Amino acid sequence: MKKTNRGGSRFLIGLMFLFLYLPILLLIIFSFNAGDSSAVWRGFSLHWYSQLFQNRLIMESLYITLLVSLLATVISTAAGTFAAIGLYSLSRRKRDALLVVNNIPMMNADIVTGVSLCLFFVAFFQGWGSFARWMNGIQSVVELPTRLTLGFGTLLLAHIAFNIPYVILNVAPRLRQMDKNLVDAAQDLGCTWMQAFWRVILPEIKPGIVSGALIAFTMSVDDFVISYFTAGSSTSTLAMTIYGMTKRRITPEINAVSTLLFLTVLLLLVIVNVREARQERRSASMEPRKLTWMEKLSVRTSTPKWRWVKRGAGAAMACCFVAAVIFLTGATSSRPVVNVCSLGEYIDTDLITQFEEQTGIRVNYQTVESNESLYSLLKSGGADYDVVVTSDYMIAKFIEEDMLEPLDYKNIPNFELIDERFKNLHYDPEDQYTVPYTWGTLGIIYNTSMVDEEITSWSALYDDKYAGNVLLINNSRDALGEALLYLGYSVNTTDEAEIRQAFELIADANRRGVFQGKVSDEVFQKMEGGNAAIATYYAGDYLTMAENNEDLAFVVPDEGSNWFVDAMCVLKDAPHKTEAEMWINFIASTDANLANMDYIWYASPNREALEKYPAYYEELYGEELDQETYEIMAAPPEVLERCEVYENLPGEIQKLYSQLWVELGTG
Amino acid sequence: MKNKRSLFAVPYVGWMTLFVVAPIIMVVIYAFSSVEGGVTLENFASMGTYASVFTRSFWLAILATLICLLIGYPAAYFISREGPRFQRVAMMLIMLPMWMNFLLRTYSWMSILENNGLLNRFFSAIGLFTLLNRLFGMELEYFPLINTPGAVVLGMVYNYLPFMILPIYSVIEKMDGSLLEAARDLGAGSARVFRKVILPLSLPGVLSGVTMVFVPSVSTFAISRLLGGGTQMMLGDLIEQQFLGGAYNPHLGAAISLVMMVIVVVCMVVMNHFGEGEEQAVML
Repeated sequence: MKKTNRGGSRFLIGLMFLFLYLPILLLIIFSFNAGDSSAVWRGFSLHWYSQLFQNRLIMESLYITLLVSLLATVISTAAGTFAAIGLYSLSRRKRDALLVVNNIPMMNADIVTGVSLCLFFVAFFQGWGSFARWMNGIQSVVELPTRLTLGFGTLLLAHIAFNIPYVILNVAPRLRQMDKNLVDAAQDLGCTWMQAFWRVILPEIKPGIVSGALIAFTMSVDDFVISYFTAGSSTSTLAMTIYGMTKRRITPEINAVSTLLFLTVLLLLVIVNVREARQERRSASMEPRKLTWMEKLSVRTSTPKWRWVKRGAGAAMACCFVAAVIFLTGATSSRPVVNVCSLGEYIDTDLITQFEEQTGIRVNYQTVESNESLYSLLKSGGADYDVVVTSDYMIAKFIEEDMLEPLDYKNIPNFELIDERFKNLHYDPEDQYTVPYTWGTLGIIYNTSMVDEEITSWSALYDDKYAGNVLLINNSRDALGEALLYLGYSVNTTDEAEIRQAFELIADANRRGVFQGKVSDEVFQKMEGGNAAIATYYAGDYLTMAENNEDLAFVVPDEGSNWFVDAMCVLKDAPHKTEAEMWINFIASTDANLANMDYIWYASPNREALEKYPAYYEELYGEELDQETYEIMAAPPEVLERCEVYENLPGEIQKLYSQLWVELGTG
Repeated sequence: MKNKRSLFAVPYVGWMTLFVVAPIIMVVIYAFSSVEGGVTLENFASMGTYASVFTRSFWLAILATLICLLIGYPAAYFISREGPRFQRVAMMLIMLPMWMNFLLRTYSWMSILENNGLLNRFFSAIGLFTLLNRLFGMELEYFPLINTPGAVVLGMVYNYLPFMILPIYSVIEKMDGSLLEAARDLGAGSARVFRKVILPLSLPGVLSGVTMVFVPSVSTFAISRLLGGGTQMMLGDLIEQQFLGGAYNPHLGAAISLVMMVIVVVCMVVMNHFGEGEEQAVML
C-alpha cells in the first residue's frame, strides 16, 4: 500500500527541487556566458573565471567573508562552549533566565539585531571619543585614538555576538545528557580540574561543539543584514558587495565566484555522504537512533581516519589567523591609504591603479547610492572616508553642519585648471572646501522603440500612456524637483503648498501604476535591457547606456531641469588628509579628467580637458566625436539657461522632503 | 569546585550584557527620544503614516508563510516516508542552496521575471502573446511580473522554504513509528492516522517553521528592494531607509525596530503557549 503513491509524491518532491534549483542552475549557466548579460546567451566562455581573480573588489570581499567567518567561528565556538559549561553549573532558575537572553539574537529579526548593534557601537565610539580626548588632555604618555569607526573589528564582534547563541544551543543538550558524576569521579581519581575538562567533558560534548561550529560558520557566511549595519563602509563582505552590485549591475564574475563556492560545498557534502554510506554498509545496521547529517558529519570526523584532515584544517585555520593579524596590522599601519567615496558608477578605475602606482598610496574606493544615503551613512557613523564626491546642494548642507575640513589649496595646484565658471559657486562661495569633479544635467531618457513620439516635457513621467513603463528616480530631491518643474515652480521653492502639490502629482501617478519602480543605478540594466520605456537620469549616464542600446534618446525637457556640479571634499578630522589632497590633485589634472570623461561620459570642469576632449576622442577611436553627443555631455549655454541648480533647503523643508519621500513608498 | 565551573558563566554574562542587552537598551533610548533630545512619544505617533507599510508587510509575510507551509509540509512528510538514502540526499539538497548567497538567488529571479526577462521571452517564443492577442484582441507584449507583490512573495517563499521544511521534517522523522502502527492496528485509515496522530505530533515543528519563515519575511528589505523595485516597501525597507537610506531619522528607525521586537516576542509567547515543552524542536 505504501508503494502505490510513491510516484506521485516523488513527482511533487521533484517539482519542489526544480523550484529550488532552477535559479541556481541559471546562475551557474550564465557564469559561462561570453556576454555580460544575465538574460541573453552569447556563447560559452571561461572569460569571467579568469576575470574573477583580477577583480580586487570581489577577491577582497571574499577574503573578508572567509576571514570573519573563520575567526568568528573559532572564537564563538570556544566562548560558547565555556559559557555553556558555566551555564550548566548554575541553578536552574538562573540558567533559564540567561537562556532567554541567549535566544534574543536568534529570534529577533536580523535587521533589529543589526540596527541595535550599530546604534550601540556608534554610541560607544562617541563616548570613547570624549574619553580619549580627556585622557590625551591630562597625560601625554599614551596617545589614544579619538576617532573610531565601524569596520572589521565591529563586524567581527557582531558575528561573534550572533554566533555564540547557536553554539550554546548545540552544546547545551550534550551537557544535559552527560552524567554529572563523571567529572566528580574523574577528580576523585586524581584528575585536576583541567584534566577532567580535557579528558572527560570535552570528548562527551564534542559532537555538539562540532555541529555548533558548523552552524556558526554557515550563519556567518550567509549573513548579509547584520554585516550591512555593522561593517561600516570600508569593510565589505561578499554579500555586501553583491548587494552593492545588484543596485548597479552584477558582473558575471559574481556568478563565477558563487559557482565555485557552491561546487566546493557540493563536493564536500558528496564526499561526506559517500563515505558515510560506505561505512554504513560496512557496519550494516544497528544504529540506535537516526542522527541529523550535521551530527553524522561530526561523528564521522571523530574517527581516527579523519584526524589528519582535522589537523590540516586546524593548521589552515591557524595560518589564516596569523595571516589575518599580519594583514590587519599591515593594512592599518604600514601602507598609506586614502578612503574615497563616490556616487554610483563614477570613475575610470584605471585612474585608481595609476594613482596607486605613482604614489604607493592604497585607494579604498567605495560607492554610495545617492547624496541622501551618503548623508545618512556619515551621520550613522558608518563611514570612515577621507574624500567624498557629492553634489552641490549636499555640500552646502555638509558645510552648514560643519562636516568638512577646509582644503589646503597649496597642495592642489591643479585647482588652477578648473574653469572660472565652476569656481566660487553658491555652495562654497569662497572655495574653501571643494574641488569640482564633474558637472551635467538631469534629463529624460527614453527608448525610441517603445515610445513613438518625441518627448519634450516632464509630463511623460506621469502619463497613463506609459503605465508600468516609467522608472522614477530614487532620490527625493530629483524626483520632487522634476514634478516642481513640470508644475512651473522653482526646484528650490520653500512653499510647502507647492511641494505638496508636486508630491501629489507623483503619488497620484504612483497609485495609477505609472511607475514600474524606483531606481538609482539599476536604471542602467533596466534601460539597456529594454525593460522600461522612460526614466530620468543624468546626461553622462545616458551616454553610457546609449553605448549599449542605440534606441535610447535623451532630452532636457522644455520646462527646464537641474544642472549640477559634483565636487570632491575632505571630511572633518579625516585621518589621511595629506593623501586625500594628493588624490584630489591627481583627479583634477587634465589627463585624469580626459580619461574620466571618456569613461563615465560626464563633463569635466577642467577647462583644458573640456576643450581637448573632441580631439582626444578622435585620436583614441579614429573617428570624429559626434557634436550631439558632446553637447549632451557638456550642455551648451542655451540649455543651461533653462536649468536651475539645487540650493540647500532649510531644515524644515528637508524634513518635509524626507517625510514625503518615505510616504511615497508607503502608498 | 562547583563554583569554579560557574565562573565560566561570568564572562558570558558580561558579554551578553554588552552585546545583547546594551544594544537593545540603545534602541529603546533612541525610540523614545528625538533629535532635540528629551523623552517623547512622537516617533510612535508618527508611525500612523506608515500603516500601509505595516499592513503590506504583514499581509505579504503571512501569505509567504502560508505558501511555505503548503509546499513545505507535504514535502517534509513525503520525504520522511522515503528510504534513508533518499532522505539523506533530499535533506542535503534542501540545505545546499543556503550556501549560495540569498542575494544572488534573489537576483537570479530578477533576470527571470523582468519584462524582457527569461520567462517573458519564453512565453513570447512559444507564441503565447500572439495567441492571447488574437483570441482576446489584447495588445500584450509581456506579463508584468517583476515589481509586483507577487514577485516579493515568490522571493520570500523561495528563500525561506528550507526553514519551513527542516523543522517539520525533523519532527516527523523522529516520530515514534509504533504510534502509527498502533493507530492502524486500531482500525484508523491513513487519512485518519494523519489527522489524529501525525498532524498533532508534528505541530511543534510546524510552529517553529512558521516562526522561522514569518520573522525574516516580515522584516526583509533586500528581497522587496530587488523584486519589488522599491514600490513594495516593507518594514525592513522603512527601517533601512531611516539608518542608511535616503531619509535619515534613526529615532523613527529605532521606534519601528522596537515595534518589530515586540511582534517577535508576541509570536514567541504564542508559539510557546502552543508548543509547551518542545523547546529544542527548533533549529535544525
